Amino acid sequence: MNIYVKLAYTLLGFFLVLNWGLLMSATLRKIVARVAGRHGIPFYQPWIDLLKNIGVRTTLSHGFMFYLGPVFRFTGAVGMFLFMPALFGSDMWSNFSFEGDIVLILYFQLFGMLGMAIGAGEGGHPHSAIGIARGLAQHAAIEIPMTLGIISLAIQYHTLSFTDIVAAQQGGIANWTIFTNPIAGVTLLLAALGAMGHSPFNLVKAPNEIPIGPPTEYHGTYLGVLMSSGVVLHVMEAALFMNLLFGGATNWVEFIIKTFLINFYSVFVGVVFPRFKIEQSVVWFFKVPMALGILAILIYSF
Amino acid sequence: MVSPIYIVAAALGVGFAIGVLGKLGKNFSGILTLLTLGFMTYVSSEWLYAFYFGDQVSTYVFTAGYKPPISINLLMGPQEAFMSTLINVIGLLGGIYLFFNFGRKGRNAFVVYLVFIMSLNVVIMTRDLFNLFVFLEISSIATAGLILIEKGNRAVGAGFKYIIATSIISSILLIGTIFAYFYTGSLNIDDLVKSDLTTTTGGLIAVFLILIAAILEMKPFPANGWGLDVYEGSHQGFSAVVSAATATASYFMLYKLLDIAGNSWDHYIAVIGAVTFIGANLLGVKQKFARRLLAYSSIGQLGLLMLILGLRTYLGDNLNYVVFGILLTNLLAKTGFFWLVGIVKAKTLKEWAIIRRKPFFLFLMGTFVFALIGFPPFPSFFAKWTFVMDLAANGGFVWIAVILTGSFLEAIYYFRWFGYAVKADDNYNFSFNVRWHKITPIILLTALLYIIGYLTAQHTELGRMINFIPLFFVLILFALDFLPVFIKNTIAIIGMGIYFYFIYPSLSDLKLLFEVIFMIGGILTLIAGYAYKGKRSGFYPVAILMYAGLTGLIEANTTLQFFFGWELMTAGSYFLIIRGKRSMPHALSYMLFSVAGAYAILAGISIANIGQLTTSLSIFNNIQYFPQWAYGLLLFGFLTKTASVGIHIWLPGAHGEAESDVSPMVSAILLKAGVYGVILALIGMSKSQYDLSSLTYILGWVGALTVLFGNISAVFQEDAKRLLAYSSIGQLGYIVFAFAIMTQLGWLTGFTYVINHFMYKAVLFLTIGAVVLRVGTHNMYEMGGLIKRMPLAFVAVLIGITSLSGVPPLSGFTGKWLFYNAVIEKGWYFQGVIVFLSGGVAFLYLFRLIQTIFLGQLKDNHRNVKEISIWFLIPIYTLLAGLMVFSARPQWVLQPLGDMIANYMPQNSIRWDGAYAYTAIGHWTGSGVMMTIGSVFLIVFLILKLSTRKAHKIKQFDIVYSGERPDRPDTTHVAYNMYAGFYKAVWPLTVPLAERFWNWMTELVHEAAGFTRRIYSGNGQAYMLHIVLYIIVLFFITIGSSI
Repeated sequence: MNIYVKLAYTLLGFFLVLNWGLLMSATLRKIVARVAGRHGIPFYQPWIDLLKNIGVRTTLSHGFMFYLGPVFRFTGAVGMFLFMPALFGSDMWSNFSFEGDIVLILYFQLFGMLGMAIGAGEGGHPHSAIGIARGLAQHAAIEIPMTLGIISLAIQYHTLSFTDIVAAQQGGIANWTIFTNPIAGVTLLLAALGAMGHSPFNLVKAPNEIPIGPPTEYHGTYLGVLMSSGVVLHVMEAALFMNLLFGGATNWVEFIIKTFLINFYSVFVGVVFPRFKIEQSVVWFFKVPMALGILAILIYSF
Repeated sequence: MVSPIYIVAAALGVGFAIGVLGKLGKNFSGILTLLTLGFMTYVSSEWLYAFYFGDQVSTYVFTAGYKPPISINLLMGPQEAFMSTLINVIGLLGGIYLFFNFGRKGRNAFVVYLVFIMSLNVVIMTRDLFNLFVFLEISSIATAGLILIEKGNRAVGAGFKYIIATSIISSILLIGTIFAYFYTGSLNIDDLVKSDLTTTTGGLIAVFLILIAAILEMKPFPANGWGLDVYEGSHQGFSAVVSAATATASYFMLYKLLDIAGNSWDHYIAVIGAVTFIGANLLGVKQKFARRLLAYSSIGQLGLLMLILGLRTYLGDNLNYVVFGILLTNLLAKTGFFWLVGIVKAKTLKEWAIIRRKPFFLFLMGTFVFALIGFPPFPSFFAKWTFVMDLAANGGFVWIAVILTGSFLEAIYYFRWFGYAVKADDNYNFSFNVRWHKITPIILLTALLYIIGYLTAQHTELGRMINFIPLFFVLILFALDFLPVFIKNTIAIIGMGIYFYFIYPSLSDLKLLFEVIFMIGGILTLIAGYAYKGKRSGFYPVAILMYAGLTGLIEANTTLQFFFGWELMTAGSYFLIIRGKRSMPHALSYMLFSVAGAYAILAGISIANIGQLTTSLSIFNNIQYFPQWAYGLLLFGFLTKTASVGIHIWLPGAHGEAESDVSPMVSAILLKAGVYGVILALIGMSKSQYDLSSLTYILGWVGALTVLFGNISAVFQEDAKRLLAYSSIGQLGYIVFAFAIMTQLGWLTGFTYVINHFMYKAVLFLTIGAVVLRVGTHNMYEMGGLIKRMPLAFVAVLIGITSLSGVPPLSGFTGKWLFYNAVIEKGWYFQGVIVFLSGGVAFLYLFRLIQTIFLGQLKDNHRNVKEISIWFLIPIYTLLAGLMVFSARPQWVLQPLGDMIANYMPQNSIRWDGAYAYTAIGHWTGSGVMMTIGSVFLIVFLILKLSTRKAHKIKQFDIVYSGERPDRPDTTHVAYNMYAGFYKAVWPLTVPLAERFWNWMTELVHEAAGFTRRIYSGNGQAYMLHIVLYIIVLFFITIGSSI
């Protein structure tokens, strides 16, 4: 396929994902509001927020790195989209997944996170630093079930390539990893709770104590960029687990349903359980998720 | 040839003459004495020369016109000539040193001294047992006299104990002589040797008595309280002579007499020697006083000599070479040391800090310490090497352990002492003066130590000049130490550059890779040295010494050359590390772990050497006996340098407290020496016919746990350089783990980490070091917001940490990607998970490093600090360029590396298709990812830039802060105890178990020493009782059962 055509499809795909992300975030926020007995926002609220943010005339800067923070974050989100195939079996929607495998995604997640953290750091706001410190600590803990689960999958499928893993799950629901390798599946789903960052693992942005954590000092266009990155990341995180556990997606409808349900699962857990303190969340990953992860590898070791 | 009898005649004649002509004055007596000693030296050295360079044969000198057994005969053979030359040289130099002291005591002191030296000569040469007894008595009485000549209770006590103890010993020798005469009818030692005395019970007792006397003269532990006091109670000048000359004579006496018993006593002598060697050095550990410490060390050396003698059957023809090396080093260095004590006059070890007021004296002391511990290029190094090799070749493994344990104990106290001298607080109000007659003999001894070291090397394959060229360069830099930094730095850089230019064509593959790291890395880190002002005394010789050692490792073709390089590198790096302001304890622990590691390597090489026809390094590839042990010891030794978990405790302090440009040298470069060793051992293991997978399996776990431990510890550091130091521990863990995988992918990962760690750790340590130079603190919470003042330093750290973290698209990810593939291919899942999880932990400390130093709030006292020095920026940005190239085009390096690894690991598990890499399970393109991410980043950046082009910069405190505006950066900067929450979760993993273990071990050694020391009550009667009990116990152990 011509590289320009490919680029055009990739851009289109990204546009789709961005809009789906905005819609999904509104929907999920509405669900949370309803659970709490509130009416919630209208479904088009994220678009309004985005336009309003970008439209703000006054912009301030704490310095060059502060400025680069959102750039890192957005590049990180785009990269997550680029290096994962959006739809299975489609040359048009496979993006740039030929450039790397799961390992690339695992580490690329951190690109935006680290860049954003450093950018926010230059703002000099203590809430930013506190939020980032918590986020990094929690992330280190999430790595345990995440890595154990992915290694279990790699042993199961003898590959680290997304396309190959999704291919192996085709041919019916029974072939999905969540059913063929349920222990690794559960391990990864527990890791997903942390990765999605909803309650009980949302101390990073803890609205009540450190207003919104890392992005505290960001406003206007910066915040708009951050917000867009956030929604894309939410979709792509879900897509990651979709590809690993739920057979991927062969068309956009399937993609939307599956990513929504995976996000819904983490929000559902969130509204049921209250927020963890950071040491609690770290220790939590050391317990059941880690035990399950070890088991998931052990069953393939013998 | 002057007959050796003139040694006796001259001494006696002059002795009487001084008595008669004494009225001519003290100086006359003194000069006459020195001339006589000079004559005696001439006679013995003339013989020595004739033996070694001519074809002189051993000659008997008969006295009184009869032949033995009627009369006494002396023997002058090569050994006798050697020993008596030693004694006479020391006697002469001692005479010079003591010249004015004796002068004050009166002319008789000269006479006694002359007789003392003469009697030792006779003890060496005589072949008559009774004559031996007589001259032993003369030497004892003379010694006692020379002790008692000093004022004070100490001298009186020591002299009194000495005379009683030696009387007992002489009496025993006399009784033994009587017994021997009764059974053989001869007093001639040669006759006794032939007579087969041990076949009869009476003969056995005779042999027992004779040998026990000779053994007791060697001051065996623990029946040696009397001997200790001599070293402490007499004049320092004389202690030295006792330590050197008397010890030489005692050794030779035992050597001569041992033949009477055939080989039946060898084993006992070895055990007695071992107990003395370890016992004396153990007690030395507890000493606080310089002279007492030297006394223990002297006795330890006597034990070592006995040990060597007892193990002579293992050594065969090499006995003399080993004795030569050990004895000579001890003689020269210990004498010099005692005399140094006499000059410096500091009593406790801590007071020795005053010695560095005169740097040349520190140099002398350093020479003696390193010679005594057996570092190259001193004779003891070669002797110890030969000794250990021969022991292993004949199965004496237990003895190797004994020798190395004793030597290690000795290293503990010598290096602690030396550490005090270099670094302890010098706030004493006393000083020391130097007088020519005292310093001249010491300088002569030091020069001899180096010259003889060089000559000793000529007997080994190290003799080639090439091995000494870097050492000469070091000496030149020592000589040029008075020049300013700028000139010396330029000389050092040019020197290394030229050396690398000439050595480059001869290297390839592995050797080339490491030589580039050592030499190019060395040059780059040296460039940072231009930032320093003044002279920077002593820095360049030791830095070059380290690099000389490192390049020696690379160029080594034989095991001895390798070990030679290893020890030079250790010595150089020790001096570099101890230069840090608070480095004293850390340099000590570095040195002790290094010495222990070096001994493990020595033992490993000795086992590898068994049954080999060559001394080439290739014996690592073909270890025939006990391969598990050989490789295990080698790996352990190398791991002490890579600071694997458990033996890492030296690293954080050593690297953290070192100077700003030394930290990258010892971290980014020096640690790779350990890696190089590990690789050599693993190459050997891959070629071995034995199954050694259990060893690599253990190594893999060690590596993985080191990663976890290093990274978690780094998270909770407040000190930026210690954070980086712990990070190095973790990074080296990755490297060890990767190589332990023993597949092509594993090794490729390992090499990627080696290259990466070299570059980013050098960048980080250089940058942080340069920042520390500007802000004057290591504590991260005292910094903050420095991005505003040092943007270039910030960018360097940003790229450094991104690379280290493994985030794409920088080169750290190359390592991570290879790691996943290697681990899954190998099936080491759990170790792999620990390693990957630790990668997540690394983010915490990396972010902390950049956040607390460069981001957050700028402190008031840093508002005017400048960007880091240009001399640091040059190497930093050169390395960053390398890092970026490796990130963008990893295949340029990885493809040739893969081909190289194929020589050792044949399986071909990675395929390259242009910039695309494929393994059995994954795929990735470094260039592609770099391009993609770069383009996206640029586009987003431009869009954001366009949309916020009117953004205006705001001030530091313009932040939304609960409706307030903070005005104190200190209270707003989140830095101290940054990961408190994480700590609450993972604190069990941060318990310093290794520190506790080693502290406990240290306590144990000290307590053991403290407890054992109580036998030395200072009571003369108790000491005599010790001697008697010692004889009784030895009787039952040796011949008690056969009588």
